Amino acid sequence: MKKRLYIELENCIGCRSCLAACTQCGGHEERNRNYVYDVNPLVNRQTMPLMCLHCVNPACARSCPAQAIQIHETGAVLSALVEKCIGCQNCTIACPYGIPKFDTEQNLMYKCDLCIDRTKDGIPPMCASVCPTNTLQWLTEEEIEAKQQQFNLDNGKWVTSMQYLENETNVKVNLPGILQGVTKLF
Amino acid sequence: MQRDKFFREIENLQHPNETLVKTHCSYCGMQCGMNLRVDTRTNKIIGVEPRYDWPVNVGKMCPKGVTAYQQTNHDDRILKPLIRDDKSLKGTIKGFREASWDEAYDLIAKNFQKLQQAYGKDSLSVFSGVSMTNEKCYLTGKFARVALGTRYIDYNGRFCMSSAAGGFLRSFGVDRGSTLPWTDLHETDCLFIAGSNTAECHPTSMFRVWHVQERGGYLIVADPRETPIARRADVHLDLRPGTDLALANGILNLLIENGHVDEQFVNNHTNGFEETKELVKQFTPEYTSEITGVLPEKIIRAAEIYGKAPNAVVMFARGIEQQHKGVDNVSAYTNMALITGKIGRPKSGVATFTGQGNGQGGREHGQKSDLLPGYRKLTNPQHVKEVSEFWGITPEEMPEPGVSAYEMFELMDQKVIRGLYLLCSNPAVSAPNSNFVRKALKDLDFMVCSDFYLSESAEFADVILPAVTWSEDEGTVTNLEGRIIKINKAQEPLGESKPDWQIQVELAERLGRGKYFSHLKTAVDVADEFRAATKGGYADYSGATWDKIEKQDGVFWPCKSEEDEGTPHMFLDKKFYHPDGKAKICALPYRPPAEEPDEEYPLRLTTGRVVYHYLSGNQTRRIQFLRDMCPEPYIEIHPETAAKYDIKHEELVRLYTRRGEAIYKVKIIEAIRKDTVFVPYHFGHDQSINLLTNPALDPISRMPEFKACAAQIDKSIKKVH
Repeated sequence: MKKRLYIELENCIGCRSCLAACTQCGGHEERNRNYVYDVNPLVNRQTMPLMCLHCVNPACARSCPAQAIQIHETGAVLSALVEKCIGCQNCTIACPYGIPKFDTEQNLMYKCDLCIDRTKDGIPPMCASVCPTNTLQWLTEEEIEAKQQQFNLDNGKWVTSMQYLENETNVKVNLPGILQGVTKLF
Repeated sequence: MQRDKFFREIENLQHPNETLVKTHCSYCGMQCGMNLRVDTRTNKIIGVEPRYDWPVNVGKMCPKGVTAYQQTNHDDRILKPLIRDDKSLKGTIKGFREASWDEAYDLIAKNFQKLQQAYGKDSLSVFSGVSMTNEKCYLTGKFARVALGTRYIDYNGRFCMSSAAGGFLRSFGVDRGSTLPWTDLHETDCLFIAGSNTAECHPTSMFRVWHVQERGGYLIVADPRETPIARRADVHLDLRPGTDLALANGILNLLIENGHVDEQFVNNHTNGFEETKELVKQFTPEYTSEITGVLPEKIIRAAEIYGKAPNAVVMFARGIEQQHKGVDNVSAYTNMALITGKIGRPKSGVATFTGQGNGQGGREHGQKSDLLPGYRKLTNPQHVKEVSEFWGITPEEMPEPGVSAYEMFELMDQKVIRGLYLLCSNPAVSAPNSNFVRKALKDLDFMVCSDFYLSESAEFADVILPAVTWSEDEGTVTNLEGRIIKINKAQEPLGESKPDWQIQVELAERLGRGKYFSHLKTAVDVADEFRAATKGGYADYSGATWDKIEKQDGVFWPCKSEEDEGTPHMFLDKKFYHPDGKAKICALPYRPPAEEPDEEYPLRLTTGRVVYHYLSGNQTRRIQFLRDMCPEPYIEIHPETAAKYDIKHEELVRLYTRRGEAIYKVKIIEAIRKDTVFVPYHFGHDQSINLLTNPALDPISRMPEFKACAAQIDKSIKKVH
């Protein structure tokens, strides 16, 4: 059963457990590969994760002159292949979200591979496993469909699936928030 | 057992040459389930995997939990006993030398006996903590009373859970931190949360909290700061620190006036309604607003939501409890559930967010100055008789009740207490009014500290004994629900470290009290004695066997026999634990904080936690990821207040009170009251905010008022003394 990463930004409390867990998957050289931002730190405590969205037609891979960035059959956009990456950093510039990170010592790009050794077998990635708030969830297509029905999306589209960004992404992001349109119980 | 909507059947990833050991986190009262990854070639803990099948947190972990395993094989571990011969170096990390266990034990026995011969049995004291198993907590109580024969034992729960305990005992006649399991929380219709920075202190509760709102339910949060949970609340009651009692009385008044009283429940199952009704009458929204600083409309709206909610849970934490009226605050918020009858049924009730891992179990079995195992009382001759017989001593040999944690430091200062055995706690950082506390520790004739890292408190010791971390021993812990769970051993003790129960048995033998302790050779032996000792007490653990805990995903106390499955929901029969079976609705006159702002000290100082650190920070400050995220304390201040003092973001300022001072970096944020400043308390030495806090004690719980005192800011950071 295919599952996807689904993000409800409004739930984030900024605990950065996703970043801590990212270092603990057993195969990421204990370096975290995503980001959590304070949205407006002098005003309030709103935070948001910025995870790789695993674009269907990813700019990072398109921009790579060495074809070092492979796309897994699950749709996960993998980290650069060590033997192919030439360290040009095109990908870090091409990605509209600034996801790929660069290791200057190894002259190598590295990025989120959606914990491919887990997700290929249906095990949730570490970030979504530990997220204490359900900001990051690992959902079936049916569950994502239900979310799409539940919330009033702009033009019926997820906010990240826009033409001016990178079009369709494998990771779905719900913005502005899950409380939109909720009917109160009483 | 419970398989709620968040439960997913997920098989763990298994790396080659590794086994997974099911256990729980070392930190807070959530006691999140986790798997420790153990390398089968080295038999060492090397990582963590989510424990998806634990019903409370279903695999979720906060950043402390994810990195908790890094404590065990940390470079800072103390691997051998340490002795310091030069007393002039007390209060520093200097002068310790490695020693054998034999030499350390001999030195301790010699000094303890010398002090007791010269100044009497009670010249020794034990200061312990509740970040350890029930079995260790139990044995620590027995060690103090039987091996040392001293009345002076108390523990760091006095800085944590004692107000909740006092309030629940008064309101319900029983002190179980939550009247319902956590797996009910997301199904309630209204969460009323006071003085809990839940998102940072108990993060793995948050998916349930948010789900209440997602279902259309309500979230009401009372806090001086707009914390991450308050940010999304339907109503944020942004009260002045230390004014909870007025807020609770004000809401109670509105609930009564607006007809939300469950009269049948009140008449049949409670006492005290009429006098309480009379007392809270004066707490009109306007009067309540005047005291608390919360807009009357918000108070009215909060009362309306709680009153109308079919099911609701009132929850609170240290924000309301760490006050010199903490017990009153607990009973006052509990009143809301009692007058509306929203208790004693699923999805409704009252709960406190237990701070320490075993804050619940650790306070029940005799580490508290006046308690014996099974929540028996030292002031009750029958209880003393039962426990004396069980331990094989005469009732006359049982020491009298002692004094509370902070008061022990006062007795050290007065030279009544001259020796200390400190374990599982770091009072040099966590106790209020640290200048006084640190001096009391420094002036002791002899001090022993058992810990796995060299804490700020260990710096005052003559002997340091290397203890194990939680993952190198086994035993039970009682989580914030009242659910007894099992901590499993994942690796052998590092270096020469030993579990505290073993240290106490061996030390008792050196002190000539072996006949009461020598039969305890394994953790299982201690567990068997512990469960038997609780039998007949009202915190009865006798039926909570390790097998049953494994089979049922934990056992909620009371659990009185092999057949008894335990008690997830309290009071389903509407029977409370007072002799007449009724709960007490408490009439509680308002008292302001012990120290109110004035011209000299115009600001209100409150303290608390950040998500990356736990308690005194002795553990979490050593974990790279957590230290990177929050390396130092800071003072949080509203931009308008900052402008008045002409101070800027990230500038250094001196913060001071009548008791002490410290220098902090300024963090400007609108999400705090203009009359209040906040500093997290996880940091030691001259960064410690407890240098400034007020040791005014609650008359019942003896809890210090960490959460409200008067302070002033000075822009020039030149030190005064």
